Amino acid sequence: MRVIVRRLAQLLVVLVVVTFFTSILTALLPGDPVTTIAPFSSAEDRATIRNQLNLNENIVVRYGKWLGHFVTGDMGREYAGTGVRGQSISARIHDSLPRSLILMLYVQLLTLLIAVPLGVYTAYRAGSRVDDLSNGVAFFLLSIPVYVTATLMLLFLSVQHHLLPSEGWVALASDPVSHFKHLAMPVLAITVGQVAVYARLLRSDMVATLQEDYILMAKSKGISDRRVLWRHALRPSSLTLLTVAGINVGQLVGGALIVEVIFHLNGLGFAISDAINRRQYIALQDYIAVIAIVYVLVNFAVDALYRVLDPRIRGARIG
Amino acid sequence: MLESADTELEASAATAAVEDLPDEVFEERKIGVLAWIGIGWLVFVVLIAVLAPVLPLKSPMVGDYAHPQAGLFSAGHILGSDDSGRDVLSRVIWGARSSLLIAVGSVAFGTLIGGFLGLVAGFKGRATDSILTSIFNILLAFPQLILALTLVSVLAPVKTSGAASSGEWAHRISVVIIAIGIVSVPLLGRITRASAISWSQREFVMAARAQGATNRRVMLREVLPNVMPAMLSIALLGVAIVLVLEGALSVFGVSIQEPDPSWGNMIYSQLSNLNSAPAVWIVPSVMIFVSVLALNYLGDVVRARFDVRESAL
Amino acid sequence: MAAVAAVAALAVVASACGGGSSKGGPAPTNGGPATTKGVADGSVTSATPVAGGSLTYGIEADTSGGFCLYKAQLAIGGIQVARAVYDTLTMPGGDGKIHPYLAKSVTGSANNTVWTIKLRPGIKFHDGSPLDAQTVKDNLDHYRKDNLLFVFVFKQINSVDVVDPLTVKVTTSVPWSAFPWFLWSSSRLGIMAEAQMKSPDCNTKLIGTGPFQFVSWKFGDKFVAKKNPNYWFKDPKTGAQLPYLDQITFVPKEDGAKRTTSLEAGDYQMIHTSDALQTVQIRKDIAAGKLKDTESDKFPELGYVMLNVTKAPFNNLAARQAFAYAVDRDEYNKLRNGGILQNASGPFGPGVDGHLDDAGLPTFSPTKAKEAAAKYKQQTGKDLSFTLDHTADPSTTQDAVVVQQMLQQNAGIKVQLNAVPDQSTLINIAIGRQFDATLWRNQPGADDDTQYVWWHCGNSPAPTADPNGAPPCDNPVNFGGFNDPVISSDLDKARSSNSPAARTKLYEAINKRFASQLWNLWSQYTLWTVAYKPSVHGVLGPQLPDGGAPFEGLPTGHPVDGLWCDNGKC
Repeated sequence: MRVIVRRLAQLLVVLVVVTFFTSILTALLPGDPVTTIAPFSSAEDRATIRNQLNLNENIVVRYGKWLGHFVTGDMGREYAGTGVRGQSISARIHDSLPRSLILMLYVQLLTLLIAVPLGVYTAYRAGSRVDDLSNGVAFFLLSIPVYVTATLMLLFLSVQHHLLPSEGWVALASDPVSHFKHLAMPVLAITVGQVAVYARLLRSDMVATLQEDYILMAKSKGISDRRVLWRHALRPSSLTLLTVAGINVGQLVGGALIVEVIFHLNGLGFAISDAINRRQYIALQDYIAVIAIVYVLVNFAVDALYRVLDPRIRGARIG
Repeated sequence: MLESADTELEASAATAAVEDLPDEVFEERKIGVLAWIGIGWLVFVVLIAVLAPVLPLKSPMVGDYAHPQAGLFSAGHILGSDDSGRDVLSRVIWGARSSLLIAVGSVAFGTLIGGFLGLVAGFKGRATDSILTSIFNILLAFPQLILALTLVSVLAPVKTSGAASSGEWAHRISVVIIAIGIVSVPLLGRITRASAISWSQREFVMAARAQGATNRRVMLREVLPNVMPAMLSIALLGVAIVLVLEGALSVFGVSIQEPDPSWGNMIYSQLSNLNSAPAVWIVPSVMIFVSVLALNYLGDVVRARFDVRESAL
Repeated sequence: MAAVAAVAALAVVASACGGGSSKGGPAPTNGGPATTKGVADGSVTSATPVAGGSLTYGIEADTSGGFCLYKAQLAIGGIQVARAVYDTLTMPGGDGKIHPYLAKSVTGSANNTVWTIKLRPGIKFHDGSPLDAQTVKDNLDHYRKDNLLFVFVFKQINSVDVVDPLTVKVTTSVPWSAFPWFLWSSSRLGIMAEAQMKSPDCNTKLIGTGPFQFVSWKFGDKFVAKKNPNYWFKDPKTGAQLPYLDQITFVPKEDGAKRTTSLEAGDYQMIHTSDALQTVQIRKDIAAGKLKDTESDKFPELGYVMLNVTKAPFNNLAARQAFAYAVDRDEYNKLRNGGILQNASGPFGPGVDGHLDDAGLPTFSPTKAKEAAAKYKQQTGKDLSFTLDHTADPSTTQDAVVVQQMLQQNAGIKVQLNAVPDQSTLINIAIGRQFDATLWRNQPGADDDTQYVWWHCGNSPAPTADPNGAPPCDNPVNFGGFNDPVISSDLDKARSSNSPAARTKLYEAINKRFASQLWNLWSQYTLWTVAYKPSVHGVLGPQLPDGGAPFEGLPTGHPVDGLWCDNGKC
């Protein structure tokens, strides 16, 4: 119970600071938001818009008003000018958040699916030719920017061979096959750039673990290498990887912007950049808040996972 | 306050890695041929970047309109030319300056500040740790790309008019370095912190404290040298990531401004010609790749030099 | 220009000269790839149209403010969407003249100050409400009161009155010969139902009389509309009920190359583009039998460098001349447009009233460029140097890079490039006149009177005054701020003139004035391309209700009611 309260408190602090920081940043962005929202409005309209957006208030008051709405579950609407209602922000979140979460989930799964065996094997065969070769390949893929990978895949898989659709989103429930076809390239484009990082982190820790006494002992007892690797060495070696993967969740939910744009996925990353471009500050703060919540929650889960993965941590408290 | 969700874990992982150091820690390690090639390459890249002004190169800015999109090994453009006829060889060498400065500069920034904060957090613990860790977590809750974009536009508001000034390039570089640097602070901070926690628990640190050494002295003399190798090897991976990330900033017009080249904007500028003129993006991609690989080997060397376990394999 | 800062977002009104004889383009650049002359329409077929099918159309950008038209800022993508749901009272035809469309007739009084709009009986909006005079009046009143730009466009309207349920009378303060063109306003002046105008969801719930009914719209994602089974318009030639398609979906994709990719991949059945390099790619696909397209350089808009003449350095004629002389437009066209565009001789494209093959624009000359730059230095004591703004996409960035190189190499002019992330930022900068020079695209061809809004200043000095000393233009959408007394007074005269010959002379004078004063530096006329799968037909649409041939210009989109697909499958 105490843990839950503490966690909730943490969540709130992150939320408030992150969104307040966002509102400071947006206030510092150059250009007049009113001009962006309504370029050809009259002076009268501009004054009204200014008022309605609380642009005349100081930043703390403006932030307070946003927070007041947000905590009561009112995400608000995009600002569309005088006399008309903008599109509902919660509707957009409802639409784009699942897309971002699914994209993130697939990317993480695929990355781990490739990186874990790769990391384990290269650690096991550290210094060998296989190690060098797989490092080479992984770093080669890391070196090509995601927009190049995506564009090349499009040209080859979509245009030349018509194997995969070039863009768009299809919900899993409506057509599973089409869903995976549409997501194959976006997921792959992000994954190839990440495998090297994940595999590399796991390899480093794994190399260290393999030198542990208990591993050496297990080996000397004649337990097969495979069993030692997967049953005894992997779990305690995966902590750094897990930490980074946890951090990466937030990044993939809100930061997959380039891939979202190229493949027209309309996830949260695109929503954020769109909100910045169109100076939709309320929407921007809502989006950032949602991502912060996802990030914090996922990292709570990661935290719990640590205890499962490494028995030595159970009950231990350091620092 | 926000306690790091994963304090204990990182710490114990780091501890696990450093327990029971044998005495031959500083024994010379063998460095593989590949690592030497890697180091050689890095020296080479730094050299050509520094020497760019005196090398017999075509102008990186001026296009040879008669030969746009020349392929590899064309006469006059040994590494091809881009779609306004600018020489790829020249641009890739001049671009090394921006790319290396940004990658090394921002990671150095992140390592210095993040490393220092992480060290303090890990060493001091308690309230200091809680506060610093909270800051790291808050920064990590932002999408990094968005944070970097916003920071650049805030730090370097667009100058939409006025005469060309010669300081523009240096200004841009420093802004991009600071923006990416800030983004990398929490990552490097957390990793350093984890390592610092584990070292702070060790007997020789406890002993130094017991003998009445000041906190500062213990932190800098006893803990820092032991944390350094881990920081360095992560930092090198960071340099690799930033080399690629810099190009992503070009997508939003917030990196090095054309016509100044960087490896990232060279690739991005030719995005619509990936098919018709592959040389222009392949060459800088290869530069990034080989440099990233070389940095990786350098990281191995650092580890091999300081980390007993791997070398014992 | 390739994907020039596509700020047609602002091109509110365009209209073609009443004269309307299309002269066709000048000769293609020697040795270069073929220049399109007039219109080349690959969607024409002798087969009988088949109803049915669903078509996905990749457009340049989504419309951020929504589709409450009198509040909207429609760029080409938004216009194309609006044309599916709304109809305009008038529509230009293949003869270059304006024809009645939703209106049965639009007739002017003898001196062109009273315009009578008669509506077709029995037309219903998608919500079942009738199209009547009151609704049209309410629409027009909104347009002339609620949008700064249209306020300016319609400032010479005195009153809009309902005469009877199907007749509206518009009274203007000056004789206004091209008034019917403004009821079209580049297809931006669609007629909305009362229910839509009164709703707070005016921007998102569209109710028009058009061939398609609004189904759904998610910003940045897609806009879906389904067939209006009760559409008032039937193909005048065959009597077939329009539209043919069951559904049309618009998907915004700003990256032109990616739009082509999705067409090639088969995910879109139709796209539009004004990026010449994309047209080059599309022509390759056509040669390989994979696609077809409709290309038109009729009534073109043009790419240009817009100069801010309200401050240094471009408040100085020598600075503008140095810029103009230093740019080798042929070379630029070859590098950046695959050589397929025509250099612009003035703001009025081939076939548009006032077009001159040679208006006296400076021709490329490094010597004269250097002389002019030296003159600037002598007059001001400063080296000529400035910032050129452009959007950050790779194609436009390379456009800017080439301009920068040419100025540096040919005249020693140092140019700082400034990449802005998106169009709205660029528009922001333009409205604030915070730029020196920027890459721009606007002025689609139509009746030249429609350019009035972009160039006219209310605070012009006497026509004999030196325009370089004039105060900045009071017209906020004359972004460069030039206040040319000759242009302002000629625009006024031409607006009120009833004589085609006199108007032509006035517009030719304006054309020459631009060439001598260099308020903007014209680059190339754009070539609009609509590309599609070979099974798609009917891009330019059916004949007009009065039997006139359909309009052949593409900068303001094309009708979608005549689109059909082989076997009813797209």
